[in-house]
Amino acid sequence: MAKYANVNELSDSQLDNLLEPPALVQNAETFHDITESVCSIAEADRMPRSWYVLFTLALCFLGVLGAMIFHLFTTGVGVWGNNQPVAWGFPIVNFVFWVGIGHAGTLISAVLYLFRQGWRTGINRFSEAMTIFAVCCAGLFPAIHVGRVWVIYWVFPIPNQMDMWPNFRSPLLWDVFAVGTYFTVSLLFWYMGMVPDLATQRDRAKTKLRQFLYGIFALGWNGSNRHWHRYERAYLLLAALATPLVLSVHSVVSFDFAVAQIPGWHTTIFPPYFVAGAIFSGFAMVLTLSIPARALFNFKHIITMRHIELMCKVIMCTGMLVGYAYAMEFFMAWYSGNRYEGFTFVNRAFGPYAWAYWTMVSCNVISPQIFWFKRARRCIPLIFVISIFVNIGMWFERFVITVTSLNRDFLPSSWNYFSPTIVDVLTLAGSFGLFFTLFLLFCRWLPQVAISEVKNVMPSAHPHGNHGEVNHD
Amino acid sequence: MTNQTSIHGILAEFDSVDGILHAAEKVKQEGYRKWDCHTPFPVHGLDGAMGIRQTRLPWLVLVMGFAGCSGGILLQWWTNAHDYVYRISGKPDWSLPANIPVAFEMTILFAALTAFFSMWILNGFPRWYSPLFRAKCFTRATDDRFVLAIDARDDLFGEETRKLLESLSPSTIEMIEAPIEDGKIPLKLKGILGIALTLLLLPPAMIANARFTKSTQPRVHIVPNMDTQVTHRGQEASDFFADGQAMRLPISGTYAQEDDRLIGEQVGFWTGKENGAYLSSIPMDVTPEFEDRGRARFGIYCSACHAVNGSGQGTVHLRAQELLSKTWVGPTDLRTDAIKQQAPGQLFESISNGIRNMPSYSSQIPAADRWAIVQYLKESL
Amino acid sequence: MNHTAPTYSADFATAAASRLSRAGFLCGVVGLAVAIGLGLAEGDHMRHFWLSYLIAFAFVLTLGVGGLFFVLIQHITGAKWSVTVRRQAEFAIGTIPFLAFLALPLLVPLFSHEGVEEFGGLLWSWVHPHGDHAALITSKVPFLNVNFFVGRFVGYFLIWSLMARYFKNASIEQDKTGEHELTVRMRTRSALCLIVLALTYSFAAFDLLMSTDPAWFSTIFGVYLFGASFLAIHCFLVLSTLYYQRQGHLKKMVTIEHYHDLGKLMLAFTIFWAYIAFSQYMLYWYGNIPEETAWYLIRITSPWTNWSWIEPIGHFFIPFLGILSRHIKRKPPLLGFWAFYILVVHYIDLYWLVAPNLYPDTVPFNGVEVFALIGVVGLFLWKYGQQAKKHSLLAHRDPLISDCLAFQNY
Repeated sequence: MAKYANVNELSDSQLDNLLEPPALVQNAETFHDITESVCSIAEADRMPRSWYVLFTLALCFLGVLGAMIFHLFTTGVGVWGNNQPVAWGFPIVNFVFWVGIGHAGTLISAVLYLFRQGWRTGINRFSEAMTIFAVCCAGLFPAIHVGRVWVIYWVFPIPNQMDMWPNFRSPLLWDVFAVGTYFTVSLLFWYMGMVPDLATQRDRAKTKLRQFLYGIFALGWNGSNRHWHRYERAYLLLAALATPLVLSVHSVVSFDFAVAQIPGWHTTIFPPYFVAGAIFSGFAMVLTLSIPARALFNFKHIITMRHIELMCKVIMCTGMLVGYAYAMEFFMAWYSGNRYEGFTFVNRAFGPYAWAYWTMVSCNVISPQIFWFKRARRCIPLIFVISIFVNIGMWFERFVITVTSLNRDFLPSSWNYFSPTIVDVLTLAGSFGLFFTLFLLFCRWLPQVAISEVKNVMPSAHPHGNHGEVNHD
Repeated sequence: MTNQTSIHGILAEFDSVDGILHAAEKVKQEGYRKWDCHTPFPVHGLDGAMGIRQTRLPWLVLVMGFAGCSGGILLQWWTNAHDYVYRISGKPDWSLPANIPVAFEMTILFAALTAFFSMWILNGFPRWYSPLFRAKCFTRATDDRFVLAIDARDDLFGEETRKLLESLSPSTIEMIEAPIEDGKIPLKLKGILGIALTLLLLPPAMIANARFTKSTQPRVHIVPNMDTQVTHRGQEASDFFADGQAMRLPISGTYAQEDDRLIGEQVGFWTGKENGAYLSSIPMDVTPEFEDRGRARFGIYCSACHAVNGSGQGTVHLRAQELLSKTWVGPTDLRTDAIKQQAPGQLFESISNGIRNMPSYSSQIPAADRWAIVQYLKESL
Repeated sequence: MNHTAPTYSADFATAAASRLSRAGFLCGVVGLAVAIGLGLAEGDHMRHFWLSYLIAFAFVLTLGVGGLFFVLIQHITGAKWSVTVRRQAEFAIGTIPFLAFLALPLLVPLFSHEGVEEFGGLLWSWVHPHGDHAALITSKVPFLNVNFFVGRFVGYFLIWSLMARYFKNASIEQDKTGEHELTVRMRTRSALCLIVLALTYSFAAFDLLMSTDPAWFSTIFGVYLFGASFLAIHCFLVLSTLYYQRQGHLKKMVTIEHYHDLGKLMLAFTIFWAYIAFSQYMLYWYGNIPEETAWYLIRITSPWTNWSWIEPIGHFFIPFLGILSRHIKRKPPLLGFWAFYILVVHYIDLYWLVAPNLYPDTVPFNGVEVFALIGVVGLFLWKYGQQAKKHSLLAHRDPLISDCLAFQNY
């Protein structure tokens, strides 16, 4: 099978032959082609028209976010729907949603690196950027929901006017450390990966300003092998550190719920369940972003059908893990003999929020099942739609967990129905504006693909004398 | 600005991975020390060909990881279990299981920061200037060419070097020449940086000034938050009054609203005492409902300490014995003569104001119910 | 990719395997006999013996089913590194039908009338609900009743045996024909099999181990046992490979790179196990709800306190620090030491999961446990070795084998 065959032309049986997977980079003859494909976007004077349309839209949503936050700060948390008994409403659902999305980037960058999966190189820069921007959106919510935002610095263990320290026993504080560490490490990892590519852009820069700006951030990188040696070591270490980090962050987020005593929240499977769900929604978001991007920026030879198909499979796998967790929770709700736990699960399916529950189940468990079929895994429009469904389903999962358990817990006299306010909804919509604004800016100015890493997995990168085939798949 | 240039080294450009690997082996063999390869991606096997030693970076990361872990535990112990002890949610003062997540995150954070910064520092970054950037062929070193550069400062550098490189069939050979003044920061830029740094020191200086000097103006307070109020706090001084105190006693003749009860006709009902003497009878109609009420109220409020049968062996007493055995004085046995013979008014006063370890119950039990309890004590217990 | 793919020859380890299986059989018979003898001598209706047998059985079950997870996961990920060790895991899963036989003796304590008044059942106290929690346990009777219990185990072993047989036989057939189709088919089928395996193994964990305290529950328990099993199988593969290499087999086929990978996975799953164990503990500690903490309370109060400390320190910290360094992972004998060590603490972990439920006031560990373990593991090795006598130790015609030998670790 020709190394550089266009995979869209291969027959099903040829594609079936998984043992000879299509080349990771299609239709590219040389390293220079990669450099050209990726750098030319940032070097172009104009972006494709759709970029401007999307950017304007994103800015509008960002404006809405700004307005809602201003309204929140000046009026108070009462503008949201949070109240007794559902004291945690949209803010925490949105927080968990965004943090979850971020996890795919780290998984692609770090975990797939440790597993020597060469296909990660086409999408890792892209998804790391997604992670950082998603974590920005995530961090926004706990910061603004505290009520007295002007004393938010009290969450940090620095001496303050009260002579008191934060409560390290609280999982909300663990969140501060976990998400803070996650943001820092992701940023470092992303930036570190970008330095060689920024050097490439610096060396190709046509204007003094571009040369200066790219040059500053490229730190003077010159491709020295002595530098690459330490760089690779540090990269491996960061990958090895980021792996347990990504597991821990969403586990800590799940602790927000699981350490409480409320039925539906207090269950031991939450940590791995949340992590699986995070990767699930994260990969869906990577698909949602990369499918239009590869078409818009002509990356189809770098983000190939193989990448798309592998991501669909990861979605299936993590979706199954989430389904497993649902099954375990459901079984234990009966097995435990705890009638509050049992009631919670019946209430989720048939109570006042049944509409949210069934949305969640159909989006999370049922819709990805279509990926059992090869045809479905290769049908781009379908994949795009399913990826959006998955994210809707995951948002609703957090909503169902938070709201149904709070809205009806131990004491029936406290039960009450929670409704979001328009401010809640607009803030959520606005957060997408923040995310997409940052992401589109990234697409405009920074190398969207890890150029040096992609070159590294091309066959011409491998020496021929030593040991023939180097396993990069 | 002199036009003098100096030779910094010599470059050989290759267009394949095999080319540079082969070249690196040869150069190493010849014994060169100050040389390097520049590639657009890390070439597999080049470390070995160049004879590069394994970096010490991982050890640094390990050490700092441990530092992060112990730092995290220490931080949490000191802040929550030592400096200002949080005795909350029924957890032990030092809740190690609850401290693991933060300690873990700090381990990762310290290790990751170390990996990142020490890599750049050990590599000598940022190094925005390098004479290599002057070479024409060097721009493709970050694109698709592999460049071998030998530094002029190497002992073996000379005519032979060029011949050696030519023998390796590179696509180009180039001498790196750069002006002597190259790479030095121009005076103008130094000046600007100097001024900028000085200006940056201003805000901390202003803060330090505000922190350690006194002022008659109140602090800038952006969010009022009802922090400064016109009211006086207790123990505050005041210039207005002769004795300098802001706290004042109520003016003479002031009495509380409830004091009507203390001076009116109902005083016996409300206090159990009339004209300094305890009431000897209950100033209410004694009906079966009244007695039932007394029994019920006794059961609710009194039996926890005094026990349902009045013996004083209530659950609070039993528990207190467990905890405080040597220092605990038990509740009175209400069946004894001493109690039986007390005037109802005195019993009422004990319930209302408390006595010895027993607190006042007047805020919990309305007066009428207190009399009902007294009735129960007298008649039925 | 493979224009002139090198071919490899089969590696039959008949002599080495015979030695292993003979030794295993001997240990098996003698071990169990001594354990039964010691158990009878204790005069407690054999309750202690049955506990020991249960844990020993659980130990080999984690190896067998752990192997099944291993094989399925290698197929579904298309992993290349494991091709030359995978056959040993296939032998491990080949013992699964035999494990069903090893499970049969557990019917004795299940159906026994001994100890029913006192404990509700020799091993599983829900057989005859009694005491404080009688009403609670009776409410679980639709699930926790003897017939359904046995039926479930019949189901589990049937399903696992079918899966094991399929994957092992398909791999062995590839030795003869070298068909790529077989690998493709195994890959596609591993997906559904993994789902079924995950569910059945979780319920097996609940049935076998968690229900020894029928009042307690934990949704993560299935994942806990998975983590422990997956860790155990990697350790087992290290030890098995070391054994065969010492006997002169697999010399060039399993290289330092493979040991390094096994070591990395041992480290990863040590961490994973600790993560799951800590999640379970910390969440229950934090919520402090008596029906959940009672299980832990027995374990952290005397006399089980010291045993419990072995878990975080012996099962996590020590092996974590031990196999962190890549230098250790690249020295097979050292890695073998750690593999053995981890298997020992794995047994201790399984023991810790059950024994305090049955013996809250004493730590009954003595020769009965040791000999029961030797016995059951011996029988497992017997069956394990028997297969190596018949089939090649190396999947020499697996299409991915060249890639397996070609990779290098960083």
